Amino acid sequence: MMGGPACIVIDTAKRPFDNYEPLLDALLAKLTCLETRYSRFRTDSLISTINRRAGSGIQTEIDTEMSTLLNFAGELWAASDGLFDITSGVLRKAWDFQRGGNASPTQLAECLPKVGWDLVEYKNDAIYLPLQGMQIDLGGIVKEYAADCVAASIREAGITSALIELAGDVVVIGGQGNGKPWQIGIRDPNSSGSLLTLSLQDAAVATSGNYARTIKHNGRALSHFLNPRTGWPVNGPITVSVLDQRCLTAGAIATVACLKTDSHAQAWLEEAGLPWLMMKSCGALIDTLTNPVSQRESLTSLQTPQLSH
Amino acid sequence: MFTRARRPLPETLERLAVAVAVTEPRNRALHPRSRLMRRLGNALAVLPAYQTIPAHADAPPAFTEVGLRYSRYSEDSLGADKWIFGSRGRYDIDITQFWIEGPIGANWSVALDIQNDYQTGASPWFVGTQQNGEPGVIMSGASIEDNRLEVGVTTRYFWADGNAGFTASHSDEDDYAATALAMDASWNTDDDSRTWSASLSSSEDTLTPTQGAIPVFVEREELDTQSAYFGVSQILSRTAITKVGLSYTYSEGYLSDPYKLFDARPETHERVALSLGYRQFFIVPDASLQMDYRYYGDSWGIDSHTVELGWAQNLSSHLITPYLRYYSQRQADFYTVIADTNARYYADDYRLSSFGALTIGARWAVALGDQWTLQLEAERYETDASWSLYSGAEAPALVNFWRGTVSLTWRYD
Repeated sequence: MMGGPACIVIDTAKRPFDNYEPLLDALLAKLTCLETRYSRFRTDSLISTINRRAGSGIQTEIDTEMSTLLNFAGELWAASDGLFDITSGVLRKAWDFQRGGNASPTQLAECLPKVGWDLVEYKNDAIYLPLQGMQIDLGGIVKEYAADCVAASIREAGITSALIELAGDVVVIGGQGNGKPWQIGIRDPNSSGSLLTLSLQDAAVATSGNYARTIKHNGRALSHFLNPRTGWPVNGPITVSVLDQRCLTAGAIATVACLKTDSHAQAWLEEAGLPWLMMKSCGALIDTLTNPVSQRESLTSLQTPQLSH
Repeated sequence: MFTRARRPLPETLERLAVAVAVTEPRNRALHPRSRLMRRLGNALAVLPAYQTIPAHADAPPAFTEVGLRYSRYSEDSLGADKWIFGSRGRYDIDITQFWIEGPIGANWSVALDIQNDYQTGASPWFVGTQQNGEPGVIMSGASIEDNRLEVGVTTRYFWADGNAGFTASHSDEDDYAATALAMDASWNTDDDSRTWSASLSSSEDTLTPTQGAIPVFVEREELDTQSAYFGVSQILSRTAITKVGLSYTYSEGYLSDPYKLFDARPETHERVALSLGYRQFFIVPDASLQMDYRYYGDSWGIDSHTVELGWAQNLSSHLITPYLRYYSQRQADFYTVIADTNARYYADDYRLSSFGALTIGARWAVALGDQWTLQLEAERYETDASWSLYSGAEAPALVNFWRGTVSLTWRYD
């Protein structure tokens, strides 16, 4: 689901729960609904409808959920000085992600004018992309939003101990049934092991990274994160993980960090003020999780990240 | 006169409490957020998935908050048909409040509250009979001026599942001094859907009435009051929350009004109050319905019911809340329109009579950037004996009033 495996663990040791089937049906329905609405790969999705109508003069009506996600994307666009831009998907035409292709300057020149959230004609109940060929893509936030939706539904069912993993992003509800925190590993991009293991209660951890997909250009491996202003891959961190109460905000902060250079990424993470871990482009690891001072602050303020080595 | 009108609890400005219903008891529980995260979080507040905030530790306020609030309370003049003698003009009170609250370290917060009330006007002295045989009010004559200053300090400790506070306050005016201590605690259940709260308070008051426009027969009296409260709030769904509270208050000492000619009340006063509240948030209009009920009963025979309905409508960075309140009271056992001084206890104070009251008002709050909030509130209160659910002759001194408030709050990281 949502571009990767989905895993839900419900621990009933502390509080029995036996009404699984209706809950799982509801969760599956929710995920399917989100995919149907927001997937750019489905021609019948709301996103595809909006994209198809680009430059046609026809606006598309949207509901509160869609407009809220667009508002969020707009806030992130503004906060990141335009680096996070849901209209930047059109740049994929200039870069062949599937086959590790090249960018043609001509294609970039064609695509770049169609990039820019500020070009979008957007009201709370309708959206219109004014240029033919413009696209929006909520892929950068929908997976994390879906994880939060699943967590909210599970909480609403009265469950106080659960773990949700959706394509690498994790939300934990409470601790484990035995009272101990959940143990969540952060994947090491250079091996099949973990960079470290976090002990988490009531938290979300989202990871964004350049290791998963890369573009080869003139023999060099480049990031699949594209700068929407230049159209070129960003030479930024290899991986960034962020902790928050919400997976969506954690993922958004991590994604924007990956769109920046190492030093700017660090400044961005510090501005966000959430616990984070970053593997810089040189492979060096820095974080606020293993630093004793930061860890203490995190423990008292967030009550979540406890590090166990 | 002693009027307690402490500042209201600071309202969250996270999208002006848009997720009002479900996050209200959690406002203080959100861990400190950077400005960037608040900005991003605000954009999401309307989504149901974010209206059940994940369970998390209670934490001190993320900001230091400084506030200034001014209220003007103005009573209508006494009607000519109810008046016998003295000034027809009644009380005006200017209430100025200042507060500052901030985190101290990771687990503590401290708050300072200062309030000044400046009061002018006249009050009913006693009720007599007019030439037409109807009861009428003899007012206190020349205008009274009084100033009250109250200073309170609260420290609060936060732990994973709750918080506890300790408040000390002192109030002083020409004829009244009060010192109060209070403790309160609230704690959350494992799933954070329920919050229990309890408080205890005690105050020692000293009256030294001033000899002025009217003769006063009391030099110095004392009053002790103890109070306990227990309440629980329960999140019912993503968009609904309810709250139940029960309080008990016991006072012993001088409880009469020294500025009334015929006023002899019992030396003890027990009060109980049961309050029920319900908030229902509606996602599409981005608003919440607020319903409250309060029952009050006391050892003097007074019963009262209060029902309030409000609608809190979010409009971009504005929150507009019109409300309507109905109040109905049964008179005290020893109340009579004209005091019966042959009885053991007697009073002609209109506040102890049977009456009903309607209040209509509105609050408007607007966020001015990230750090400032402006709030305006106005309400009109009108009362009439015939609006009461209970029988009882109308007190001629029943009062109508206007109240207006403006406040400015500044928060900084």
